[in-house]
Amino acid sequence: MKRAAYILLSNPLSVIGLLLVGAVFFCAIFADFIAPYPDHAGAVINFAFANKPPSAEYLLGTDVVGRDILTRIIYAYQVALGMGLVVLLIAPPIGVAVGLIAGYIGGWTDFILMRISDIFLSIPPLVLALAIMGLLEPTLFNAMLAITAMWWPWYARLVYNITRGEKVEGYVLAAEVIGASKAHIMFREILPNCVPAIVTKMTLDFGFVILIASSLSFLGLGVQAPTPDLGSMVSEGTRYLPDSWWMTVFPGLAIVIAVFGFNLIGDVLRDVLEPD
Amino acid sequence: MGINIKTALLSSTMLALTLAAAPVAAERILRADEVAVGEIDPAKGTDYADTILAINLYDTLVYPKQGGSGVQDHLATDWTIDGATYTFTLRDDVTFNTGNPLTAADVAYSYERMMAMGQGNSSLFAGVVDSVEATGDNTVVFTLTEPFAPFLATLVRMPIVDMATVKANEVDGDWASTWMSQNSAGSGQYVITSHDPQTETVMSYDADYFMEPVEGYPETVRFRYGLEPSTVRALMSRGEHDISSQWLPPEVYAGLAEDGATLVTEAGLTGEYFKLNTQRAPLDDVHCRRALAYAFDYATMAQLTQINADTSTGNPMSGAIPQGLTGYDASLPVFAQDMALAQEELAKCAYDPADYPINVAFIAETPARERGALMMQAIYSTLGFDVEITRTPWALFTEQVTDPATSPHVVEIAISAASPDTDSLLYAMYHSSQPPTWISSSFYANPELDALLDQGRVETDADARQDIYAKANAILAQEVPDIFAYELLSPFAVREGVTFHNLADPARTYPTSGFNMRFADISVPETD
Repeated sequence: MKRAAYILLSNPLSVIGLLLVGAVFFCAIFADFIAPYPDHAGAVINFAFANKPPSAEYLLGTDVVGRDILTRIIYAYQVALGMGLVVLLIAPPIGVAVGLIAGYIGGWTDFILMRISDIFLSIPPLVLALAIMGLLEPTLFNAMLAITAMWWPWYARLVYNITRGEKVEGYVLAAEVIGASKAHIMFREILPNCVPAIVTKMTLDFGFVILIASSLSFLGLGVQAPTPDLGSMVSEGTRYLPDSWWMTVFPGLAIVIAVFGFNLIGDVLRDVLEPD
Repeated sequence: MGINIKTALLSSTMLALTLAAAPVAAERILRADEVAVGEIDPAKGTDYADTILAINLYDTLVYPKQGGSGVQDHLATDWTIDGATYTFTLRDDVTFNTGNPLTAADVAYSYERMMAMGQGNSSLFAGVVDSVEATGDNTVVFTLTEPFAPFLATLVRMPIVDMATVKANEVDGDWASTWMSQNSAGSGQYVITSHDPQTETVMSYDADYFMEPVEGYPETVRFRYGLEPSTVRALMSRGEHDISSQWLPPEVYAGLAEDGATLVTEAGLTGEYFKLNTQRAPLDDVHCRRALAYAFDYATMAQLTQINADTSTGNPMSGAIPQGLTGYDASLPVFAQDMALAQEELAKCAYDPADYPINVAFIAETPARERGALMMQAIYSTLGFDVEITRTPWALFTEQVTDPATSPHVVEIAISAASPDTDSLLYAMYHSSQPPTWISSSFYANPELDALLDQGRVETDADARQDIYAKANAILAQEVPDIFAYELLSPFAVREGVTFHNLADPARTYPTSGFNMRFADISVPETD
């Protein structure tokens, strides 16, 4: 771990990534203190200041009802990070459990569990999420649910492959010989060897969850007004292109910053944790 | 820097455009757009796009009166009214695009077809006509079940189809329903070249048309559907689009005007209504509805309708009836916000706002209306309501309103009088006999109002009708089935070099919404 921290901090790419992600987290956590107009995150209308380009007063301009875009981006990060955290707290444990059980026990269990996850994997993620959202009301919670449903099979696949490799290793055989329970072998012996891959994937995924969540709300199926959301800000702004370009460009850049930051960290982490 | 980014974005949007129109030899083309779906069967269409298609592909016995109110002759040169019997004399020089002469038998058949199919504007005639008879090649007699004052005005919604062509394309007695949604069988000034209801309708001028086109009329019209505002913006600045739809956000019109487009507006007897669902709690209580109406910020709404210093898209309203219709009362004060009265009414309402969230929908294809929804959210949350906003595509919305239980609490819609008569507006919106549609989506039922509206249909004396509709108007202002936000002046951006004569000159304007966009009345330059 110390070595990992050292490499992360000595690689300029991951330092940039850490700075970007740090800034995003900082914005989300301290939104109430750093946002110039905290009330603009809610149902505020201020038509006198609508459609204003970036200025000293409104650094990133205002939207069509006169709300400060910088403020809304800062608050939108709360939603985006919350989404990422919830999805990555639910999806990996499910996927990991499925992958471990299928990989270690094998046979029919393997066949059934992995075919189920294959079915999920065979549907394009956004289409699956759209289908789920189509059946449910478009709310933040349901968006999380839809994204989680499409995310766990990737972890199942990843852990399954590692488990298949590990189960013939000497330490697993040794544990079997001394009579360790299946659960013990799976979760205490094999799982620790999967952790580096899982952590790397989670870091990379954080960015992608934000991207998918933004895509859903771009299509009108995510967070509902007036809650600020990067995807719906971009979507709404496109109608006013090219005149009011700041309504689209800045929320778009905000998505880029978050996704790019997580990807940089994830990339370097992968080099560190999986040196093969 | 602002300018540079804007120009860069403009050119990149242009590059990204896939709507490349292949250049052809010098030809006069008109390119306009509307919201999908474009329904070309005149027995099915109802909305603005359908109206434009119907008036260009088909003709009607009478047409809204140019530069005035009421109707003028069109296919019918003359008519006599004897109580409930209307006898029309038709022009004898009109042929369909197929070359078949247009006769009285076609008129009778068109009526029969529309009523048998029971869609589109057929509801305007339901229960009104007892029989239609062609008594000669050029004479047709409509016998009504009882006197119906708005009958002549209503006829602007009955396009005449070519009986022989329709019959030839009938499949299993379907009145050629499928075929007519893909082809035209009219006498109109334009004829269908190709039609995709989601993308584009292409029409060409019929040189045999019985009326003269204006100088520089378009030979070909490309009527496009579902263009994004930024696409219209880019196409127009590149000279590849001529007339915008009326549904763009105000900023986009302002931008287009800055770049040289002319802005014209169509009054069209249209109100901008926030329909309140009177069948769902808490809005089934009139006090709650009044509270919403009093709290509504009319002044800000008026500001929002201001595109730039010269053009506004709204006039203030004083009741349910727009100017130019019978029953409009110029002496009434226009609506204004009054929070004290709103609180007072809310106190009388049987429901506690905290327990009854209100769902405000806006139509996805008209993004500027999100502002109205956000404004409501801001104001009504101060009254204690939890307001949620949903962005609903038009197709989904028309489905939702077929049942009051699935219909949103509040939705902003522009509704036009279908004919130049008050009846076509109020009856369709508020008479309890009307089926649930987007027009009647406040689902209002009031026997007293029903009686007045029924009376307005049989009364033929103009002054008496003015009184009847003024009374109805007063009831509606009290009962608030809708919030009467403003009279809509539909804006259109017209490219430099193109002249939309009917809207540019008030003397040439037709009073009814959509009837001004007769393509052959628009001058366009040659494109090469």
